[in-house]
Amino acid sequence: MGQATVPAVRAVSLSIRASEFVALQGPSGSGKTTLLNLLGLLDTPDSGAVFLEGRHAESLSENERSDLRRDRFGFVFQTFNLIPVLTAEENVSYPMVLAAVPAEERRGRARELLEAVGLADKVGVRPDLLSGGQRQRVAIARALANRPAVVFADEPTANLDSRTAEGILDLMRTINESSGVAFLFATHDPRVVARARRIVRLHDGAVEADEAA
Amino acid sequence: MSAFALAWRNLVRQRRRSALMIAVVTFGFAAVALAGGFIAQSFDALKEGTIRSVGHLQVVDRRAVGRAEEATLEFAIPNAERARGVVARDPDVAAVLPRIDFVGLATNGTKSVPFLGIGVDPEPEARATLASELVVSGKYLSGDGGDGIVLGTGLAGALHAKVGDRVTLMATTPDGALNALDGIVEGLVDVRIKELNDRYLAGGLGLVSRLLQSPESVSRLVVFLKDDEREDLVAARIAETLQRAGYPVAVQHWRELAVFYGQVRLLYIGIFGFVGAVLVVIVILSAAIVMTMAVTERTREIGTLRALGTRPAGIRRMFLAESAVIAIAGCVAGAVLALVIRAVLNASGIVLPPPPGATHGVPINVKLYPLAYLAGVAAMLATMGIAAWAPASRAARIPIVDALAHV
Repeated sequence: MGQATVPAVRAVSLSIRASEFVALQGPSGSGKTTLLNLLGLLDTPDSGAVFLEGRHAESLSENERSDLRRDRFGFVFQTFNLIPVLTAEENVSYPMVLAAVPAEERRGRARELLEAVGLADKVGVRPDLLSGGQRQRVAIARALANRPAVVFADEPTANLDSRTAEGILDLMRTINESSGVAFLFATHDPRVVARARRIVRLHDGAVEADEAA
Repeated sequence: MSAFALAWRNLVRQRRRSALMIAVVTFGFAAVALAGGFIAQSFDALKEGTIRSVGHLQVVDRRAVGRAEEATLEFAIPNAERARGVVARDPDVAAVLPRIDFVGLATNGTKSVPFLGIGVDPEPEARATLASELVVSGKYLSGDGGDGIVLGTGLAGALHAKVGDRVTLMATTPDGALNALDGIVEGLVDVRIKELNDRYLAGGLGLVSRLLQSPESVSRLVVFLKDDEREDLVAARIAETLQRAGYPVAVQHWRELAVFYGQVRLLYIGIFGFVGAVLVVIVILSAAIVMTMAVTERTREIGTLRALGTRPAGIRRMFLAESAVIAIAGCVAGAVLALVIRAVLNASGIVLPPPPGATHGVPINVKLYPLAYLAGVAAMLATMGIAAWAPASRAARIPIVDALAHV
């Protein structure tokens, strides 16, 4: 049996600007997650280029890519991906530890962010004692820890019940409006699409439509 | 949160596996520490025994170095008492023992047995060496020795000689003539090397000089020092002083003379080195398996940490920190275990089998040898580091998207 190479995304040209709230929408296998990973510097394209604030991503070393993710990006995952041995506060603090933010400032900001996502009373609680919605709120707080330019969210509501999902999306929208952080979602959740200000529809790895909502 | 604090939490998270790994390191460390203490005890005992037998230094005629005499006292030091006085005046010298080496036949009238003889100055010999402590019957020579002789129990047995018996000694003089005279058995000694015990005979310098008809000459001067550390310095000074005084001598160190010491030392190092190597391989394999399992189980977490901005080196550091925490915890537990086992062993009164060439076992006495504990820490840290390096490096290299998609 041979192996066939199937391009996940092709001929995509997409710009994300500051403060945008964008939904990448499409059926399973349309390339949403792949495109999100490429833009978030989690993956590298076989061809083509990703530019970040005018800088060609290909010219960056592995460490520079790590530093850029740390300082300019936030990530929210479908399965929350919190570090199980760290408390809510420590999870939020982790990106700030990487950025060598002083301990006092780290602590203050982590608590501020947890308060902003409604978890002021959960600072010392570990993820296994939090509900799905609470975990995703911690993940959002963590994504905002180093004041990123963009938060990449891959199916952030997929593992949440309807009510919790609505609350999480409203929270993200509020943060977007209040802080100017851009949000880019990979989703096929209509609730996300309903809140997006720009919708990019993907099909078979290509942009089918890119329109304001 | 420091890398070590995070490492500790990850280890606590996998309690059973971490405990197993710490146990492996604990036993590995305890084995290194105890073996080190045992080796140190063995080497120290061997060294002390060797020095108390051959002295720190020996002064011999230059021609005697590396050569065997064809005739008794062929390479003798003449005017031995004067030479002895010159050496004894050195401020670092504790004692100078003149010795005459000779061979001959001992006979009880009906049976003759060859012996390896040694002529000694009895009083200082008894003070500085183990000679008098080896006596199992009668007493060691005293005064100038008179006509007294001391026999190894093996030789005495062959001659059916007991304390008070008269034994005739026959030996060739430096001129090649055969001479004989009687000695009176004053004591029997148990020389702890069987081959020597079967041939050992000691007499006072006076008796031996008369037998060999060679007054004033000795085969060697055995020198004991006040301080081991100054051996090289004193050796050079003694050689120079004696040469200035007209003696064409060489000064030999105890290590050159005690070939046996070097051989036993090499044997022990070989045995314990092999056991140590096996131990290290076991620890490396166990640790590598544990770390590989940890990396596999935490692949998605690694992807998350990388996505959040952790550099590849940070991931590697995280797993190496875990291996270091295991090593440190294992070493602490191992040190406690080693101290407990040491106390139990030393209180047990177990007698070890005789070392090579010896006839008597020695009671076990594992030394507290700090260097062995330090070596244990270094070995365990290095071993765990080596074991964790490959899995940690693999973790650092996993593509982020593959790690995040890992189930």
